[in-house]
Amino acid sequence: MSTEVKGRFGFGSFILFVLTVLGIVLALYRFATGIGSVANLNQGYPWGFWIGFDILAGIALAGGGFVIAAVVHIFGSEKYHALVRPAILTAFLGYLMFITGLLVDIGRPWMIWSMMINWQHESPMFEVGWCVMLYTTVLLFEFLPVVFEKYKMAGALKIWMNIMPLVAIVMLVFFAWLLSRSTQWTVVIAAVLVIFELAIRGGVLKRDPRVPTLLIMAGIIFSTLHQSSLGSLFLMVPHKLSMIWFSPILPVLFFISAVMAGMAMLIVESTLSSKFFRRGLELNILQGIGKGLSWVILIYLAVRVVDLAYRRVGSELLATSPQAVAFWIEIVIGLLIPLALLLTPQGVASGRGLFWAAIFVVIGLVVNRINVAVTGISGGSYPTYYPHWMEVAISVGIVSLGILAFLLICRNFPIFEKEHSHAASA
Amino acid sequence: MKALLIDTIRCTGCRSCQVACKEWNELPAEETSFFGGPGYQNPKDLSKNTWNLITFNEVKLNGRLKWIFGKKQCMHCLEPGCVSACPVGALEKTADGPVIYHKNICIGCRYCMLACPFQIPRFDFDSPNPYITKCRLCHDRQEMGEIPACAKACPTGAITFGEREDMVREAQRRIAENPDKYHHKVYGLEEAGGTCVLHISSVPFEEIGYITDIPNEPVCANVKPAMKAIPAVMLGAALILGASYKFRNRTRDEEPAAHG
Repeated sequence: MSTEVKGRFGFGSFILFVLTVLGIVLALYRFATGIGSVANLNQGYPWGFWIGFDILAGIALAGGGFVIAAVVHIFGSEKYHALVRPAILTAFLGYLMFITGLLVDIGRPWMIWSMMINWQHESPMFEVGWCVMLYTTVLLFEFLPVVFEKYKMAGALKIWMNIMPLVAIVMLVFFAWLLSRSTQWTVVIAAVLVIFELAIRGGVLKRDPRVPTLLIMAGIIFSTLHQSSLGSLFLMVPHKLSMIWFSPILPVLFFISAVMAGMAMLIVESTLSSKFFRRGLELNILQGIGKGLSWVILIYLAVRVVDLAYRRVGSELLATSPQAVAFWIEIVIGLLIPLALLLTPQGVASGRGLFWAAIFVVIGLVVNRINVAVTGISGGSYPTYYPHWMEVAISVGIVSLGILAFLLICRNFPIFEKEHSHAASA
Repeated sequence: MKALLIDTIRCTGCRSCQVACKEWNELPAEETSFFGGPGYQNPKDLSKNTWNLITFNEVKLNGRLKWIFGKKQCMHCLEPGCVSACPVGALEKTADGPVIYHKNICIGCRYCMLACPFQIPRFDFDSPNPYITKCRLCHDRQEMGEIPACAKACPTGAITFGEREDMVREAQRRIAENPDKYHHKVYGLEEAGGTCVLHISSVPFEEIGYITDIPNEPVCANVKPAMKAIPAVMLGAALILGASYKFRNRTRDEEPAAHG
């Protein structure tokens, strides 16, 4: 059973509020005068901090939602159930934050609907756009039971349980057709989904009484697709992206690192919300996540090393260039240090070790995405891009707004499970 | 498919083509300053109001400093990166060759700029209602049976317009007839899969400021397989998730409570 939690809005929340207001003011200024008045972007560097941080890093960090949904509802690890609702809420708010960031970054945001009627199935940007639109909708649907529970709408929950599998099938099949434009693929994918649902309705497969499995599956499939497609965006620029990052398997690397970052964010946000809401920290749950995280870091590191070796990237990594330095920050802070922390018994036994390992993974992920989008890009003869403080301030404002919204919703809706007696105190 | 052939040896740097481009496309003049760019080049760079630019390059040739003029404009690739990149189809490769821009459906994401290996599309960072701008190979003039304004205006024959095959043959003929005068390369023949603007010059192209480290396969070569994999990934994911659900569902029945 979940419950609302108490947490004081104090000085920290006040700071977040101020940062939000500053971000909003600067965003209004940008809409009134053009991107150039707040950003250092130029004709050689059309993408900057907003794409790297708000969009690439933001979406990867919101990956905790689909990872935990898969672990609990598909792979059946019930132990982590308490993390599902906070993670779904974080992911939902994360995607709304990212969409806000996107509206600031694109030059003509009032035309964003253009993507809904002008179909370009060969553009990775088109795929990301649609996937994000559909996944945000899925996250909203996944969050609805919280609202039903709060307002005791048992009837609505029943309708939701019945309709959502069909909605999920329609979304997935439409998307399959939109991106493949192939009747065969569409029919095969539709058949698999319909058979699965019939098996559940016919009692061949056991029904999950809490949530329609197909809705969870839709969330995981859309996430897998766009987390990797964010990497595909940069397959378009072999002529501009440094050898250190340009790889034909960028989509795979982006997907694995999104799983990694999503898990790290689960640890970070559980720890922080236990502090804020003065709840016990369920250390054994987080230790389980930490163990999984160390495996994902190992896999990611291995794929990264093999990829670099296969493409014979060597001297570039040892040069004294900003790119090489940025690469080593990503590897050492983002992968090696957290791995070391997670593999030492003392590191895992304490909540602090876990927390810091997760923080380092998050920092490493942000650095990686900014490296791909900004540091690794060569703009030729144009002045090297460094973010303007107003660009950073707008992103900070958006994140602050997201955190405030999270705190507010947790206080008013049943997001966290009732505390168990065995919970360790933090 | 039509193409332009630019022979930099025949160019005298008069910039009639620059003026003709502005006139036809109704682009206002820019405020410029003497020596504001490299040498006497004016203006400094392509912009929302300058879609065609004659670049002034000072090159040392046989011990003497010489001006060699280049022409900077959209290359109208055979398989344009900008077209593959655009999420809404605001950029379109027409059958006749020009890559054109439909400004009204553009969302301003600037992915076309990132995708362009020649760094041609310009974005108006100073406007609250910005567009992408670039040369459209006088698509509208071609529809009326006319040749592009720059080719029409050129007084020295440095810009020739015609079928791409003919232009390629003409470029190769000029190089073959004067092998000492020309650098042995047709820029645009293979770059990024080939383009509808071809250049020949007396010196290697990197010496006159052209971007030369462009792969010969089309920009979208790496993207296509990734996009093709999408339905397969969907099917694979659905099968794996479905199977996992069935398998783990059984263990869940056996050990209901706190099973990790």
